[in-house]
Amino acid sequence: MHLDPFELHRPTSLDATVRLAGDLAGRFDYLAGGTDLLPNYKMHLNLRPHLIALDRVPELRGRSLERLGAMERLADLERDPALRAAFPGLADAVSEVATPLVRASGTVGGNLLVETRCFFFNQSYFWRASLGFCLKADGDRCHVVPQKERCYATFSGDLAPPLIALDAEVEIAGADGRRRIPLAAMYDAGGDGIRRTTLAPGEIVVAVHLPSAARGLRSRYKKLRVRPSYDFPELGVAVAGRWEDGGRVERLRLAIGGAETYPRRFDDLTSALEGGTLSDERVRALAEAVGERVRPVHNTFLLPDYRRRMVAVYVRRALAEARAGRAG
Amino acid sequence: MASVERPTYRLLGQRIPYVEGPLKVTGRAEYTDDLRRPGMLVARLLRSPWPHARLRSIDTTAARALPGVYAVLTGERYPTPFGVLPITHDETAIAVGKARYTGDILAAVAAQDERTAEAALALVRVDVEELPEYSDPRTGIARVAEPIHARGLNGSNVQKEVVQDFGDVDAAFSQAAQTARVRGTFAGVTHAFTEPMATIAESTPDGRLTVWSATQVPHYLHRSLSEVLGIPMHRIRVIKPEVGGAFGGKSDPLPHEIVCAALAIETGRPVKLLFDREDVFYTNHGRHPTQNDVRIAVDADGRILAYDIEALIDGGAWSSFGTVTTYYNGVLSMGPYRVPNFRYHGRRVYTNRPPSGAMRAHGGTNIRYSVEVALDLLAEQLGRDPFDLRAINALPPNSTTVNEFRITSTSFLKCLAAAREKSGWDAKFRRLPYGRGVGLGCGFYISGSNSPIHFTPKMPQSTVHLKVDMDGGIAVHSMQADIGQGSNTLLAAIVAEVLGVDLERVHVQRVDSDVSPIDIGSYSSRVTFMMGNAARSAALDLRGQLIAAAAELLGRPAESIETTHERFQVRGAPEVGVSFAAALEKAMERVGALTATGAYSTTPKGGTFKGARAGTAPAYSFAAYVAQVDVDVETGEYHVEKIWAAFDCGRALNRLAVEGQIEGSIHMGLGQVMGESMNYRGARLFNPSFLEYKIPTADQMPEVEILLVAEDDPEGPFGAKEAGEGPLIATLPAVGNALYDAIGVRFTELPITPDRVLRGIDRRRREGRPWKGA
Amino acid sequence: MSSQELLSFRLNGQPVTTPCEPARILLDLLREDLEETGTKRGCDLGTCGCCTVLLDGRPTLSCLSLARLVEGCEVTTIEGVSPPQGLSPVQAAFVAHGATQCGFCTPGFVLTATALLKENPHPSREEIVRAISGNLCRCTGYTKIIEAIDAAARGGP
Repeated sequence: MHLDPFELHRPTSLDATVRLAGDLAGRFDYLAGGTDLLPNYKMHLNLRPHLIALDRVPELRGRSLERLGAMERLADLERDPALRAAFPGLADAVSEVATPLVRASGTVGGNLLVETRCFFFNQSYFWRASLGFCLKADGDRCHVVPQKERCYATFSGDLAPPLIALDAEVEIAGADGRRRIPLAAMYDAGGDGIRRTTLAPGEIVVAVHLPSAARGLRSRYKKLRVRPSYDFPELGVAVAGRWEDGGRVERLRLAIGGAETYPRRFDDLTSALEGGTLSDERVRALAEAVGERVRPVHNTFLLPDYRRRMVAVYVRRALAEARAGRAG
Repeated sequence: MASVERPTYRLLGQRIPYVEGPLKVTGRAEYTDDLRRPGMLVARLLRSPWPHARLRSIDTTAARALPGVYAVLTGERYPTPFGVLPITHDETAIAVGKARYTGDILAAVAAQDERTAEAALALVRVDVEELPEYSDPRTGIARVAEPIHARGLNGSNVQKEVVQDFGDVDAAFSQAAQTARVRGTFAGVTHAFTEPMATIAESTPDGRLTVWSATQVPHYLHRSLSEVLGIPMHRIRVIKPEVGGAFGGKSDPLPHEIVCAALAIETGRPVKLLFDREDVFYTNHGRHPTQNDVRIAVDADGRILAYDIEALIDGGAWSSFGTVTTYYNGVLSMGPYRVPNFRYHGRRVYTNRPPSGAMRAHGGTNIRYSVEVALDLLAEQLGRDPFDLRAINALPPNSTTVNEFRITSTSFLKCLAAAREKSGWDAKFRRLPYGRGVGLGCGFYISGSNSPIHFTPKMPQSTVHLKVDMDGGIAVHSMQADIGQGSNTLLAAIVAEVLGVDLERVHVQRVDSDVSPIDIGSYSSRVTFMMGNAARSAALDLRGQLIAAAAELLGRPAESIETTHERFQVRGAPEVGVSFAAALEKAMERVGALTATGAYSTTPKGGTFKGARAGTAPAYSFAAYVAQVDVDVETGEYHVEKIWAAFDCGRALNRLAVEGQIEGSIHMGLGQVMGESMNYRGARLFNPSFLEYKIPTADQMPEVEILLVAEDDPEGPFGAKEAGEGPLIATLPAVGNALYDAIGVRFTELPITPDRVLRGIDRRRREGRPWKGA
Repeated sequence: MSSQELLSFRLNGQPVTTPCEPARILLDLLREDLEETGTKRGCDLGTCGCCTVLLDGRPTLSCLSLARLVEGCEVTTIEGVSPPQGLSPVQAAFVAHGATQCGFCTPGFVLTATALLKENPHPSREEIVRAISGNLCRCTGYTKIIEAIDAAARGGP
């Protein structure tokens, strides 16, 4: 399978990257690890005439317990014992992305911005042409939830839920300079599977920042999928919390990916539990309340009813395992 | 059976590393796509986006005019129908008149490169009338508005109907102490070999056509090329490079192979056609989506009185091996048990889906699952252990089945005993805690088919030629097709064993129809038995020539000479002998290079009723597997912890290869149980990719304990039978029955995905039927 | 368009300079342009691991790598881990244990295993399984592959 021709740019600074992005507005894609973009390009999904490769932009590198550069490779995160010790839930998620071969190339930024997925979208041009194109590429209708307004493609990144649960922030660069926003806010774009983030055209994710409050939390990420490697999440549940010695939970965050068009957090539900003891009954109530809100659609391998039912189970288990685990 | 002293051999029975292993681990083994020819063009195929459509016109004018395009072909250029079975030629190289599934080939282009070829395809204009789509075999049983093929029975889409009735089934059921019924539903699964199909063809000015192709049956490809292209076989040369897995998926002569050859003829230049992974999924020919309905009657002791079986088989767009499939779903359901009364009604129905065909353990897998689940049910109803129930029903050696299969060797009882003991069955069955369980599944499969396709029964099924020259190397020629199972290694080992020489002297030649004598290839688990016998016979011939020369050198009668390692010597006087090299030199004095030939024929055995030959084989394999599972009862996810695989392949001639076949078969069987499925919505395949077609990964593979306990087969080469396909079959019911033991739920729909497991657990709870106290 | 700029990198220890358009995929460059056909094309979409190469020592999917981005890098294919005569310890173990059947996935597994043992000379069974969990094999059920890697780690064939 060959790629259609494009022009390849390899800027060597963040400023140059942002400038280039301005010049090529709307006609380019950023290329990070390529493990998501290049299969999509091979399937002729939303091709652009320019690619801006980010592998030579030094500002996107660097890894510490405070900051993860967007171009840091997942395989390097996976092999970082300090990171695993500090953020066990994030480490779970990193080591469960796709396969070791994908993680060798895949990056933090690439996983945060992984294209949303759907049976009707992640198909070859031939396949899509044979059925009729969809809203997300080349067409004007959604085949999953038949209508013409909204795309229901599933957010399938593994890193976002645990990072959101840690209150991570994302550093963004654009023509107007750099800004930092909560990672959750980056995804707060109206819930459409096509317009997935609040990033302005040309803006680029530079790094993820982990607040000092994220240290010392107990955290866990639980991923539902058919096979223990390869598969994208059919559901991904991340929890992070701080428990007092007496068992009261001081802080609790919960985020879910793989179920809807964007990773969601449930602060109203979790903050109501803060300061109290997480009895089995409260955990069960929380799990069920979250399960009530999550509405998967039939565009992945496992049936939506099942995925929805698993939300409560996975939330409960993630909480139990996080609590039983070591603090970061 | 009387105990026979078992001979031992120098090589056979050992762990013999594959002869081509060093080439494969270094990337030096040559697969079709690794080859290139000077001036080679690239071919691409235009596939139908419609599941069912009448082709009004195909305009290739613009495509032909594109610079860099050498040829554009449509169906009417080579319209001769073909197909793997002579009685069901319903395919054409390129669609003629109708497109019958999404993916059917409408046109083909040869161009200077891939981009040009694809640009040309985009310029082909196809005008069609869309036709009703048939994706449910149930609706194809009756007369339909637009039959997919004119040959459908009575205006329906039924491709083949088989009705068989032996004994008095109704009477048997009326006398039964217990009966059980299982209605199974099986998603289609596909071979998913790692090497996509690839073909290179070259037509040369001497009037010959050479075709290199990833095929497991070079001879059938050879015949089909000749028939469709109208070229005598002697002007066609078929070469089989290394094949990167096949499992039945490269056993039909496939349309693209003929298309590639046609393009080479049209252009006068070499042409390569390489498939994308998606092409492979559309080409399919995998295991049929099937619904079956199995009823079994037993007496109060659990002795089987009768089977009453129906099968409805979704054939997809073409016949392929489907007539055989339809028979096999019935006749392969009985062994390893004695079934005195048997009725079967099988129908295979065309649908507008990618064609199904032969996949590893063809025809014997889905029906076996339902039968073994039914036996598990019966054991429970009778309060008998599942092992005991199987044991009292075992077919005895040297017996005949109700449908006149000749059973020779069977070590099924030994397999049962080994699996029971090694798995710790008696301490586990119904005794493990809720969520964990063990299950028994058994298997039975042909060791080659007595009925070769495309052959008069009088011709040998396998021929092997040997040539040895002054270098002392033994060249072995045969059209048997090593597709990774190790048949080249076995061929070399048999020759080396008989001649007493080191394995490194024996060189198995690449399959090339110009020089390889015909063997009908790697399917129906026939190679070890048939090629093995042919190779043994050829080597015995060559050994006779060498012994005669040795006898002459030693001045002793030939009868007194025995063969030892690289030496011929006088029996009882080992110091009197000559080396292999000396005997060879003497033998060559008269004739130059020595040659020898060996062949193997089966004579059709079995009854004389219609379809009696289907499933007859010179020998059969038997299996008894125990699976142990661990179910997460809250999520339905489960893990197969271990499989104990007792298998009767006669004598295992290459233990390494037999183990490899069993382990690989278990992996493939687990895939079908746990998650593999050709996911159709209507006629449309939704998962033509390795990401969404869920082949088990390394981390899903259970521990496998292999138990080879069989006696030698009397007719197999050195006592061997098949081990390539039969080992798959028992995997599925072993897991299904283990899930029942774990959670008390009978699963009759495959694959058994976590959502289905959870639904089963729910149902049982709703019905208020606790299991193991939960 | 700068379609045929020259690309320079080290392939199996030797410097290579070759014309390469921006859209060229590393797998295609290796197989078609440089005729290193030991690297296999199984799916072209990163879902089988047959095309694995070592990129600066790390197992990488060549079907999802833009060739131009390996400028200045060291690419090692199966040809590069094969000694001029004989076999590497990992290769010898694969042969001895019957870890090849059809052999099409084998170069990818050998490279993945070679890199694993370099990084972790004494892996546990779980670590071996995890390391190869991105390489598909349809023939062996992985059992003999795992045995072979374990044997190579223990220093025997």
